[in-house]
Amino acid sequence: MKQYWKDYQKEIADDNYFYVRSCIRQNFFPGAENLFIDILKNKLGKTVFEDAEHTTCTGIGYHTDVVPLETTMTVIARQFALMKEKGYRNMIASCVTSFGLYSEVLDMWKHQPELKEKIAGYLMEATGRTFEEPENMVHASDILYKYRNEIASIAKYKLINKTTGEPLKVVDHIGCHYAKTFPERGVGGSEFPQVLTGLITAWGGQTVDYPERRHCCGFGFRNYLVQPNRGYSISQSKIKLESMKPYEPDLIIANCPGCSMFLDRWQYTLEETEGAVYGTCGNKIPVFTHEELAGLVLGYDPWEIGLQTHQVPVEALLDKIGVEYNPDLKYTDRQGNLIGEPELINQHVC
Amino acid sequence: MLENENHRIAVIGAGPAGISAAVTAAELGIDVDWYDKADQIGGKLNDYYQLFPDRTSAMNVLQEFDNLTGTARIHKHFGKAINHIEKNNGRLVLMSDHETVGSADSVIVATGFDFFDARNKEEFGYGMYNQVITSPELEQKLKTNPDSLKFDGEAPANIAFVHCVGSRDQQIGINYCSRLCCVTGIKQAIEMRELFPSCRVVNFYIDLRAFGSGYEELYREAQEKHQVQFIRGRVSEASENQQHRIVLKAEDTLMGRPLKITVDWVVLLIGMVPSCTQVQVADHQCTDQETGFLKAANAFTGHRLDGQPGIFMAGACGGPMSIPEAAASGKAAATEALQYLINR
Amino acid sequence: MEILRQIQADPRYDESCRSCLNCGVCTAICPAAGYFDYDPRKIVNLVREGDETTLTEIISSDLIWYCGQCMSCKPRCPRGNVPGILIQILRTVSINSGLFAKSGLGLQQLVLKRGIGHNILETGYCIHPTRVDPAVHPEQGPVWEWMSTNADQVYSRFDTGYDKEGPGLLRKISPKALGELDRIFDVTGCKELWRKIEDGAAK
Repeated sequence: MKQYWKDYQKEIADDNYFYVRSCIRQNFFPGAENLFIDILKNKLGKTVFEDAEHTTCTGIGYHTDVVPLETTMTVIARQFALMKEKGYRNMIASCVTSFGLYSEVLDMWKHQPELKEKIAGYLMEATGRTFEEPENMVHASDILYKYRNEIASIAKYKLINKTTGEPLKVVDHIGCHYAKTFPERGVGGSEFPQVLTGLITAWGGQTVDYPERRHCCGFGFRNYLVQPNRGYSISQSKIKLESMKPYEPDLIIANCPGCSMFLDRWQYTLEETEGAVYGTCGNKIPVFTHEELAGLVLGYDPWEIGLQTHQVPVEALLDKIGVEYNPDLKYTDRQGNLIGEPELINQHVC
Repeated sequence: MLENENHRIAVIGAGPAGISAAVTAAELGIDVDWYDKADQIGGKLNDYYQLFPDRTSAMNVLQEFDNLTGTARIHKHFGKAINHIEKNNGRLVLMSDHETVGSADSVIVATGFDFFDARNKEEFGYGMYNQVITSPELEQKLKTNPDSLKFDGEAPANIAFVHCVGSRDQQIGINYCSRLCCVTGIKQAIEMRELFPSCRVVNFYIDLRAFGSGYEELYREAQEKHQVQFIRGRVSEASENQQHRIVLKAEDTLMGRPLKITVDWVVLLIGMVPSCTQVQVADHQCTDQETGFLKAANAFTGHRLDGQPGIFMAGACGGPMSIPEAAASGKAAATEALQYLINR
Repeated sequence: MEILRQIQADPRYDESCRSCLNCGVCTAICPAAGYFDYDPRKIVNLVREGDETTLTEIISSDLIWYCGQCMSCKPRCPRGNVPGILIQILRTVSINSGLFAKSGLGLQQLVLKRGIGHNILETGYCIHPTRVDPAVHPEQGPVWEWMSTNADQVYSRFDTGYDKEGPGLLRKISPKALGELDRIFDVTGCKELWRKIEDGAAK
């Protein structure tokens, strides 16, 4: 009996990971990556190594055509070289664009070995390094997917409305470069990816299918980064938000840092420019990354994991789940002192 | 004509090609052992409503076929699926699940085809969304339960037919054209328009393959008499909205712009794939490497199966074909089988 | 036939531009096709046609700069084409030939080179909080303004290693690593590309 895509499982290594960070996730969700590392090390007992010498994969530069193919390939080869040097075979990419790009580069090298040779030559010439392809290369959300049941078994909270007892309605948004580029590199293929629905279901929530589920969030690289082009970007997110609104989702999660950022920020912009609000009771819909969702159910402190950096306030959701938090510590530093002038932020919560 | 009057031919399959082969062989004076996995003749003809191009009732055609099969020379062994043919001392041994079921001097394989499993084209949501059905399912509903085609108790307002599902598609590894789906879509579009005169019917196609006798005329009739709308663009994806209606995205390629349309039913015109109950011949590979259908030794000169003296193929087990084509193929295979028996 | 030759010589050409059925599934789900007057299917056809004049015209126009690189086209194409990757090839040829400077959107490469490009060699990241100025990013909202204005304190809250050497959140990437990136960019032709962008835009 042929296996259907939605049941498709991919190989995910079970330990000894080499972790490469994401430019966007570090900038806009500064709590997320250390949280991910902490969950892996201290809750799941895994070995995760971060090499301080690693850099951006140049993905954003590649997709804005300011970094040519061979440069990107050589930078990626350098990442692999660092990994080899430290004795690791399994890579975790935090960024979805990186994950897609590593996949594409590995695929091109498979079909054009002479290109791989050429890149090896460039790397040697520029850095004196040699590289090996990883044995296993996955996205961070794949790891959480793999251990979703273990996390569920030690979770403090569930994705359930504590007042009504109903599972929360969660929209899962999959970054385009996760499975559209190589469906066999995504859990569940490209049409009905399971990597986030698996987490949602394991942690007590229910997923929402809506017509624009597969539509791109609209990052569009140059279509956001260059100011006059931003209309494209906001329009694509608006299409998604309008489509999901009737389903009254409690929360959105996304595995790509860009997607999380855009779905979060554009709700603010759409309210400012059009008065449009997509959640219930005049609220916006909170947007979480997969690490943040894991951190939430595991009982980490919301401000420790960076939820205060979201443009869409999260308090209403935290209250819905019954997560304990101290509102006074939201905009403070480690010592509990207020940072800057947070009163200018003026976020309203229903 | 034949030196040894005890020659027997086995025909595997009782669809249109098998019926034609068995009847022809019997008329030419040979005894036929006739096998089919089902308990009655007809194959998929049992499931069809009206046949293109002239909307003949499938049951009438089946009845006409049935009337021909009553001769004493035909020995029916139904309810048995032959999956293996072994060669033994010049005879061909027929096996069903490792059990010997019979033997013959010559065999005609007429095992037909399967429909493409639409769950493999996930972007259309078949198997997930209730309002997405396949063309054989529509055919069943038209035949036995047309009322089930209402939506929310009323006549549907919009229906879309999607051509080329499971054909001409590298993503699922099926690169050939299944030939008959286009005319099936035209026929079913007309039937839906007749059933629900207030319903708008749109066919999304890439190339309209109306090659057979009467097919092009049916296409024109669909447009002129029944106002079926044909949009040139393959549907890219189907999603379900809150009312369980289906939202489709396609490009109107002749206008050069993307479109989105919400419909009550989506009918996937699914292609034909090699039958999963295809017969293995000894350990020889007689299927086409690309398509998986059975392959003739020389498609230009006859139906003898590649590398197999005495074994012939007929009908859709060799590739997509219509019922008249399958019947003609069955006749030809029977004649060739007779020639083989005379000449060896 | 220089432009066509360059397009076909790109290592990504075979995987992205084969033969087109003209089925339109790419345009059907392309976010750019729904927003701009843009049709990826037509682009594939024009490249397959291979007319030098037409191709020169296309890569001198805005037409090749609309694609948002989402790759939604890739899993759907029944012939295995990838318009999103073909667009990358066209953009590469456009920059290398200098023709990018003839279109308004093409000229944006200068902004991107000086932004993202310089970010990479100067910090080791594509994006850095000190370089996402809230003044030109009002859409990021008041929370971002707070984060960006108080970056040291906000980021240190999550990792005291912020902006310092050694592993950690937005670590200061070492001069050695930056040096290696710089040499890679030299040896693989990126600096050459950047010169072309600067020179082309200056004209």
